[in-house]
Amino acid sequence: MSRDSSSSSLWKGVDRKAMAVAEFTLKQQRKRLSTWVVFGVGFAAMAILTMFYIDGMVRDYDAIDNDGDSIDTDGDGYPNGQEIVYGTDIYNENSHPGLLNPSIEPDDPSLWIDEDDIDWDAFVAGSHGYDDDGDCRTDARTASQKDSNNNGIPCDVRMVTALYGDGIAIEGDTNVDEDPDDAAYGREAIHRASILALGKFGFVFLIGIFVPLFMATGLIRNEMTSGTMHFMLAKPIARTEVFLYRMLGFLALAWPYVTVLILLEVIVFGLAGPSEGFFRLQDLGVWLSIWLAALLAILVYGMLFCMLGVMWKHGIILALPFAAWELGMILTTLGAPDASILRFSVIGWAMNIVDAGAALTWADTQLMIEIGMWFDNGSSESLVGAEALQIFASSPGLGLGALATIVVSVIVLLFQAASCWFLGGILFKSKEIE
Amino acid sequence: MMPDLSQQGASPQIAPPSNPQAPVVYFQGVSKTYGRIHALSNITLGLSGGVTGILGMNGAGKSTLFKLLMGKLRPSSGEVKLFGVNPWKNPAPYARVGFVPEHEKMHDWMTALDFVSTFARLHGMTRDEAKEEALRVLDFVGLAEVANKEIGRFSKGMRQRTKIAHALVNDPDLIILDEPLQGCDPLARTTIMNVIRELGKMGRTVLVSSHILSEIERITEQIIILHHGKLVALGNLHAIRERLDQIPHTIRLVGTDARALAKDILTHPAVYGLSFPNENELLIQTYHFGELHAELPGLIVNNGHDVSEIDNPDDDLESLLNYLTGGSS
Repeated sequence: MSRDSSSSSLWKGVDRKAMAVAEFTLKQQRKRLSTWVVFGVGFAAMAILTMFYIDGMVRDYDAIDNDGDSIDTDGDGYPNGQEIVYGTDIYNENSHPGLLNPSIEPDDPSLWIDEDDIDWDAFVAGSHGYDDDGDCRTDARTASQKDSNNNGIPCDVRMVTALYGDGIAIEGDTNVDEDPDDAAYGREAIHRASILALGKFGFVFLIGIFVPLFMATGLIRNEMTSGTMHFMLAKPIARTEVFLYRMLGFLALAWPYVTVLILLEVIVFGLAGPSEGFFRLQDLGVWLSIWLAALLAILVYGMLFCMLGVMWKHGIILALPFAAWELGMILTTLGAPDASILRFSVIGWAMNIVDAGAALTWADTQLMIEIGMWFDNGSSESLVGAEALQIFASSPGLGLGALATIVVSVIVLLFQAASCWFLGGILFKSKEIE
Repeated sequence: MMPDLSQQGASPQIAPPSNPQAPVVYFQGVSKTYGRIHALSNITLGLSGGVTGILGMNGAGKSTLFKLLMGKLRPSSGEVKLFGVNPWKNPAPYARVGFVPEHEKMHDWMTALDFVSTFARLHGMTRDEAKEEALRVLDFVGLAEVANKEIGRFSKGMRQRTKIAHALVNDPDLIILDEPLQGCDPLARTTIMNVIRELGKMGRTVLVSSHILSEIERITEQIIILHHGKLVALGNLHAIRERLDQIPHTIRLVGTDARALAKDILTHPAVYGLSFPNENELLIQTYHFGELHAELPGLIVNNGHDVSEIDNPDDDLESLLNYLTGGSS
């Protein structure tokens, strides 16, 4: 029993010291103008990135007639699409559905823009898509014309495993799902690409590196230089404790800051994003993973930069090449998320968390990219937003399931933080302080 | 997750390891070198109880001596012990030590109460206990009334007293003060000297450094003199002083009428020479410095003079050092 009470009082003592140093550090940082300058610049940077997104959301996307069905080639007043469905000749003005019995009234050409949207929701194995506008199903076509992808099902789209890479390949029958709603696709793709871009580059990289760079590098070093560290070190507290508790004080300010910034973006993106309701809730999972990755990035970079500050009085000079390395690594995650060099970075692991969160939340992102790119063939361009989404969305690089990726990455990042604390503690302990 | 729990400094409930026989402060052949510069060479001494003045010119090694004790520096050779424990990489003994560093920079944005109580909590006190303790020590150094003012608005003397209060929390057995009187106004000087004497009377071990002999003389008779990193004298100041009286000293007075002042002082038997660098300043030469220094305030007050400053230009320590080192310094 006595053992218990002494260990609980030991914890109490540690706890009191931790609170004292953390509180002190928090107040100290709050009183510093530089803290608020860094926070202000961070806020402004996020606001600018958000403006690009808002611009992407409010812009009018022209409804593109991808298949040319709204055109009236022969000038008989009937759009080509309508003529194809009724089997009349689109190049002959004397052949049109009006001459049929019963006579058909010509459609407004605008009905033949975006008239055959993508129908991918039914994930029936092997067969997707529906020929909404009837230009494949028309009796004027032969059975083989209706089944140009040779899967035995007329007028459908099939997805097969790609011959190269681990993606999917889309093979559609001619005239099926060939004229999607470009604006809807573009908004959704740009919305997702913006969240990923802002999350990865804005929160995890910019905020994650620069807030610790300016706030944590001097946590120990500034006090050593000014001589005020003597007040703390004259008390019965180990230097490794000082290191850790100073970090706690820093995190007590930096974590709420990044949390508030992310919350603001959640609100902006929720209101402005494409949604059937008033607020778009379906991105929350991605935001949570961005939040988790940003918290961990701030933790690891904070520990690392604080350690570099202890190591050398110009620790910030050591930190800058590291930040450059991390920039190279985050660019690598975009193109090659499974590159093994990423294991030797912080940002690679943080990106794994974001990518895994995105994979859990938006299961169909890869499909969206494929569909958007499917249109990129000889006759038409890829859909608006598809390329942006392809750039910023990556599959998590560990080759594990999404949840396992998150768990492993969190453990690795915590280990990195602990190592920096351990090394920083050893360095600090053996430092002579003038 | 808390590897430092093994360090004895972690809890107030666990008494720091100590050997009751061990001297509070112990140096055995300690040297500290920076490249070819010897900051301290071969210092051996042991101290327990009482107030000890550490005298030396700037750069004599006083601060180095303290920083070795406080575990801020690692000795190049020799052994440093604090309560019988090597303080390097071991914060445990600091539960019983108060340290007033020489650095002038403080946390100006804090109030005196915040400053003292924050660091008191590092002794494992709760917030309330720390506040109570901080108020006690601030009152002890005479700052109770300004406890809630920001340190940035304090005078030099108040800042020094705040630093002393910071050192006195948790009622330490050893108090180390590095140049506590430097830059202080006369009132603060008197207060700080009283505080130090009081601590001595309470049975604490006090180490106080200065480069001004008369300052130390007003506080204690037990002194250590450092010169160029070497220990040149250790013992009772009286004995040293008696020999020193053979060397002339200068006392400098600043007042409204230096000549009127001179007339009354000239009659004192200890005075052997006077000079007037300017209208308000009077320099007195004496062979009996201690005697004159003690009687001077009475002389001034009884004759109704207006004197704003009394000090001794540093040359008295210099001449003492000259004497002790046989002129080799």
